[in-house]
Amino acid sequence: MTGTILRRLVSMVPVMGVVAICVFLLLHLAPGDPAAIIAGENVTPENIARIRAQLGLDLPIWKQFLVWIWSLLQGDLGASMFWGDSVASLIGQRAEPTISLAITTLLVAVVLAIGIGVLAAARVGSWIDRLVMGFAVLGFSVRVVVVGYQLIFVFAINLKWLPVQGYSPIAEGIVPWLRNLVLPSVALGMAYVALIARITRTTMLDVLAEDYMRTAKAKGVAMRPMLFKHALKNAAVPIATIVGNGVALLIGGVVITETVFNIPGVGRLVVDAIARRDYPIIQGVIMVFSGVYVLVNLLVDLSYTFFDPRVRG
Amino acid sequence: MTTTRRTVLQTGLAAAGAVAAPGVLTAQTRPPASRTLRVVYAGDLATYDPIWTTANITAYHGAMVYDTLFGIDDKLQPKPQMVEKYGVSDDQLTWTFELRDGLKFSDGSTVTAADCAASIRRWAVRSGTGQLLLPRMKDISAKDDKTFVVSLRERFPLLLDGLASPATPVCFMMRKKEAETDPMQKIDTIIGSGPFVFNQGETRAGTQYVYDKSPTYVPRTDATSGSAGAKIVKVDRVVSVNMPDAQTAVAALQAGEIDFYEIPPIDLLDQLQGDPNISLINLADLGVVGYIGLNWLHPPFNNQKLRQSLLYIVNQEEMMKPTFVDKKWYQACGGWMTCGSPMENDANTDWFKGGVNLDKARALMKEGGYDGRPVVVLQATNIPYMMNAATVFAQQLRSAGYNVQLMPMDWANVVQRRSSKAPPDQGGWDVFFTSSGGLSNANPYMIGGMATTGEKGWFGWPSDAKNEELRTKWINAGSLAERQAVGRELQQNAWDIVPHMYYGQWRQPAAHRKNVTGWLKVPEAVPLWNVAKT
Repeated sequence: MTGTILRRLVSMVPVMGVVAICVFLLLHLAPGDPAAIIAGENVTPENIARIRAQLGLDLPIWKQFLVWIWSLLQGDLGASMFWGDSVASLIGQRAEPTISLAITTLLVAVVLAIGIGVLAAARVGSWIDRLVMGFAVLGFSVRVVVVGYQLIFVFAINLKWLPVQGYSPIAEGIVPWLRNLVLPSVALGMAYVALIARITRTTMLDVLAEDYMRTAKAKGVAMRPMLFKHALKNAAVPIATIVGNGVALLIGGVVITETVFNIPGVGRLVVDAIARRDYPIIQGVIMVFSGVYVLVNLLVDLSYTFFDPRVRG
Repeated sequence: MTTTRRTVLQTGLAAAGAVAAPGVLTAQTRPPASRTLRVVYAGDLATYDPIWTTANITAYHGAMVYDTLFGIDDKLQPKPQMVEKYGVSDDQLTWTFELRDGLKFSDGSTVTAADCAASIRRWAVRSGTGQLLLPRMKDISAKDDKTFVVSLRERFPLLLDGLASPATPVCFMMRKKEAETDPMQKIDTIIGSGPFVFNQGETRAGTQYVYDKSPTYVPRTDATSGSAGAKIVKVDRVVSVNMPDAQTAVAALQAGEIDFYEIPPIDLLDQLQGDPNISLINLADLGVVGYIGLNWLHPPFNNQKLRQSLLYIVNQEEMMKPTFVDKKWYQACGGWMTCGSPMENDANTDWFKGGVNLDKARALMKEGGYDGRPVVVLQATNIPYMMNAATVFAQQLRSAGYNVQLMPMDWANVVQRRSSKAPPDQGGWDVFFTSSGGLSNANPYMIGGMATTGEKGWFGWPSDAKNEELRTKWINAGSLAERQAVGRELQQNAWDIVPHMYYGQWRQPAAHRKNVTGWLKVPEAVPLWNVAKT
């Protein structure tokens, strides 16, 4: 097992290398000039050129890449072109809201999605099944932005139950922390619930049709242990896979959700950075997000050995 | 050691306390909500040095932290702010300024004349007015701790206007240490003598910027008026929240989570007007002017006849309406300088009074030899008023017979591409859209776009010696009446050569909670002194 983990970790290096090259080239070949944005509107082209030189943007692109990659190899993500703060510290400041949002969304989504997915499979063809599937189609089709604004309108403006926007650090109390996360988590979790619920239902239907399940039923095993103890564990591998793959969906959704609910997280950081072409921030955040995604998938792969002992062999 | 339930509980409580303690302590030192103003401006504060950048949002930050020698009153006239007394010699070549008592930087040090002299020097390098001052200035030096003298080679009647102007970059007074930084390098230390102190501990770049009432600031005793007079701070803290999503900001204002929103989208104004807790306010009477940049380096608009043809094609009303909907928020303006400003006049505006005349435009196009080449129009799709204006403009040009190629892109891309002097079909451009403050546009020197200095000048690079002569004459005009007369000559010439055009003028209302009062009208700024929350 240790060997497998080490091999997988080593295989991350070329993956991250490819990500670094793609991110850098995409950003620097795309049009847009951070120096012109920093300078403001009423400036001469000469002043913009001087700012560009100060930022090192007048260097050949290969040289800029080497400078950045050398810093990256030393663990330095660079500094914001605008504020001058280090990218690592900016990500550090923004990490808590994003992690909080991702974890609450993930917890709520996985528990809810597996529950309704199993229920739909157990009651296949019934109104419950149709309701769950209808919700899944809706959840996957309606964008986070639409859901977010509707939730704000109903629960924050009309009912005044929850705040419209913002984030309260966990250190300032669990209740305000949760209050600020409820609406964004629901908005972000919709698509995730839909995705996992559909996969859970389909996989459970396959498993429930297996001979050993028919045998268990014939032996008189009660419905609940049959579904959750025998069927769900055997259906877990595809579900775990989709939970892992869904992290990409979650990361994409976090970026939008943080903007809609004005949560000062890493997603907002990168959205703002893209608008003003703050290259070091965009590059740093994408590298971090990519690393997280690769690691999550590694964990998912490792989880197969827990759900399916045959994989260990 | 035995692990018991009690030790687990104690350890858990201790850990929770340790995690919560910093937050609890911070929360205890925060002023109450009733003494905290939460505002949302049009954009994010991208950099803290208000001299290094001309971005308006940085000038807002500057106005909180730094003070100015002069301010402008509600009639746009310069009035002393940090200055107690000033005088000018009979030949108008020597200006003497004496600072008022009690001026202190937030680090506790006293503001001296040497700080002011260094600050003026740094500002002058970056400012339009300052760049006019520099070649005319022989010296600026501190006579003593409170007095400094500006010696000129030739008279410069705009000196006080320049020192007082709220147009960016604003002449903020910094400590000598920071003011001696190369004007092309940004400063990182934010210590000013303004009515607020920047709270770096509570600030989160890109998220929120926090300003506390300065304990050392001593306001003037005369009445508050514009950025002149007493700057009395009536709250303990201002939090400038970066909230890029307009819908969220409107909802937050309605829910009372913020107190002020600088630019609510026009299409949401009805929603805000219907809310009994919210008021709309016009903070800038001169508003904003929409500017159409034309490329003088390449065909077709290197041709005067073809530029003139645009006068008979462009319909500002149609370009404004999709964005600003109701005429109370916008107006068409035929002036070369801002309508409603002292420089407004009607010289050479028959084209405007006569309205769209496509026959005349086509005749000019024929005379100018338009060969059907595409007109490349840069369209900033992430700024709604520019996007809408460009869409309508393209259609107006097409209706006259121009072949238009609309290039949708974001603003970051526009500001890069407009700096290209390459031919339009090789990465260059023919037309771009931007905007400037009404106050700046009421002055032929305040924005680079008014210059016609050719390739040394601003984007578009128009070249016209007569306009430059008239601009110099305008600077040297000794009175407002003289300036207005030169302003007419400038406009007469401008609408012959058509250095650029306009797509209208608008007054973007701001929105605030009704329990927040005392808003001051200062063009191109949002002062937060004098604002009280009840």
